[in-house]
Amino acid sequence: MKKRKWFKLASLLLAAAVIGTGCQGQTGNEQGQKKEGSTVQIDFWAAPNPTQQAFWKKMADRYMKEHQNVKIKVSPMPESPSSEAGIQSAIAAGNAPVISENISRGFAAQLADSRAIVPLDQFEGFDDLIDKRQMKSTISTWKFADGHQYVLPIYSNAMLFGWRIDILKELGYNAPPKTYSEVMEVGKKLKEKYPNKFLWARADLVKPTWWARWFDFFMIYNAASSGAHFIDGNKLSADRDAGVKTLQFFADLSKNKLVLTKETKDPFESGVSVMSDLGPWTFPYWAEKFPEMKFNEKYVLSMPPVPDGMDPSQAKTFADTKGLVIYASATKEQQQAAFDFVKWVYSDPQNDLEWLKETNLPPARDDLSTNKAFVSYFEEHPQLKLYAENIPNAIPPMDNAKMVELQELIGKEALNPVVKGEKTPEKAWEDMEKAINGVLK
Amino acid sequence: MGWLLASPYLIYSAIFFLIPLFWALFLAFTNWNLISPEYETVGMQNFLDAFFSPSVRAAFWVTYKFMLMFVPIVIAGSLFLALIIHHLPRWKGLFAVGYFLPYLASGVASSIVVKGVISYNSPLNQFLRNALGWDVDWLGSPILAPLVIALMMAWKFVGYYALLFLAGLESIPKEVYEAAEIDGAVGWKRVWHVTIPMLYPSFYTVTILAVGLMFGIFTEPYVLTGGGPEYATHTWQLEIYNQAFEKLNAGYGTAVAIINSIVTFASIFVFRKVLEKWGGKHGWE
Repeated sequence: MKKRKWFKLASLLLAAAVIGTGCQGQTGNEQGQKKEGSTVQIDFWAAPNPTQQAFWKKMADRYMKEHQNVKIKVSPMPESPSSEAGIQSAIAAGNAPVISENISRGFAAQLADSRAIVPLDQFEGFDDLIDKRQMKSTISTWKFADGHQYVLPIYSNAMLFGWRIDILKELGYNAPPKTYSEVMEVGKKLKEKYPNKFLWARADLVKPTWWARWFDFFMIYNAASSGAHFIDGNKLSADRDAGVKTLQFFADLSKNKLVLTKETKDPFESGVSVMSDLGPWTFPYWAEKFPEMKFNEKYVLSMPPVPDGMDPSQAKTFADTKGLVIYASATKEQQQAAFDFVKWVYSDPQNDLEWLKETNLPPARDDLSTNKAFVSYFEEHPQLKLYAENIPNAIPPMDNAKMVELQELIGKEALNPVVKGEKTPEKAWEDMEKAINGVLK
Repeated sequence: MGWLLASPYLIYSAIFFLIPLFWALFLAFTNWNLISPEYETVGMQNFLDAFFSPSVRAAFWVTYKFMLMFVPIVIAGSLFLALIIHHLPRWKGLFAVGYFLPYLASGVASSIVVKGVISYNSPLNQFLRNALGWDVDWLGSPILAPLVIALMMAWKFVGYYALLFLAGLESIPKEVYEAAEIDGAVGWKRVWHVTIPMLYPSFYTVTILAVGLMFGIFTEPYVLTGGGPEYATHTWQLEIYNQAFEKLNAGYGTAVAIINSIVTFASIFVFRKVLEKWGGKHGWE
């Protein structure tokens, strides 16, 4: 009797398991790869941002009108707990879309390392797309160590520093400082006049948060090294001299009490700090919450400062940039159809203009500041012009699958202890090199 | 017929608990990165790595540090609140529900509010600086940061646990108090020798819930501190999330999750035994 009960229980659990796995199969990869008659169906995952979704829906509708054999379903990517985790879970569950946007170069490196995405340069018409979108220079820094292009950058935010020009004018300056010694001089004058103000308020400087390094360490390092690669393939190739100078800059800021590392609400807007790392996403927020933040009245923008003796006009910066990838789990036909759709979108600069208007994110084009299609937009939004001009000067994140660990080590071993005054820049660089080489082995 | 009636729960458990459990047990012995089609079995390597990992060790101790701060605060706070509500002449329900509301607040939203309240330029900090000369680094101090999180969680859970204590208080028969009064137990003596022992079932439930909660902290440190400063708020869940989803070490992350569940189980077991011993002294079986 007992045996029979156990048998029943085991059968029930087995049935449940079969149902469970059956469900997974049905909602899995198959869904995105369905081919109805001669129609190719493409699942497109847009960024979890209403303006980006609206843009891609519009593009998909227009494309489908012209290409009746393609059906594009645009939906927002899952973002719980993050969009990257959502994509990873989808791949693991066999639910990956055919194509998605919102992929950083670093995350793409992780996906490429696991062969979850396909190289875009192998599609027919790739070079033609690059030519038509005028992005030869911008995309050159996106090439992966294996020589392929896995991501097509959609937008590129050349990260800039905002300076409170109203406060700088009070200190006797009409323009932001461009070299390290000029920055220190401004800091000295600021502290003399306003002892409670700081040059830069950034709590992340003492935290090992990996992504925070993009907006502090890499902005300054890229400027100091003229954009020298930090990692090449599986080798640390960073410019040591520029790296130590970068850390020395942070050490000097900290020693002179010019950085505030406590959590601060809107420090730049409230005038607690006079400089801040700024991306163009800030401006719609300001228009709503801080309408008094007017370009050239309250703030100006500049590229990151460079070491003394370097030409500031040659400065590079970090590119906060994301792009499109095509997933390996899709069929060849779907992959080609997805690529054709992308090519169609980017063959017309008007679509990039529409994107810019809708999202405020600068399209990743070399000619953004010179192309006639965008001139009137930048006349209306002059604060975005410098972002557009510096797209070719912006360096995207490293293309290493261990990016998270590596960038965590930059914070833990180098930047954080230097800002806290626990290590000299030389020792910090040495420790960081050792730790990174250990991970890259 | 019994099997048929129980089948919805059994099927639910099989899909959402048993299959994932066996899958996790398998994953913990692999180096799968969550997205690659290929992976290898690595034996006990993930568990050995976790054993020697400073971040896992930190998560282990930080949990007990949170427990030391949170459990006494939340028990004292919720008991105090329950006693006040219990003695209210009217609108007990209204107050009980009012204090329960923070429990429904989103962890992210309340963390953002707390971040604002303790930011460098908040009115609170400006007052501390200007009036007392105190420049407090709330989230930058390894002592204050966990305390801020523990207090914030206590604020959230105190109303919920107060309801459990209130239910216990309401169920104490009047005759027990009358007998105690005849024996001379009044005021604090009555609370200490009658009310608290009679509340044993509520204490048991609240303590076990509060201890269990400490092993699942994620949102607050994720939003407020990211686990810092120097791992002072680095919890098990942060470690698992970072490893599985940030660093793509799903196999290793699963091994840490299994260690976490063993530690949770062992800790709750110890607390249960201690509580049962205390309850036994007062005649609770």
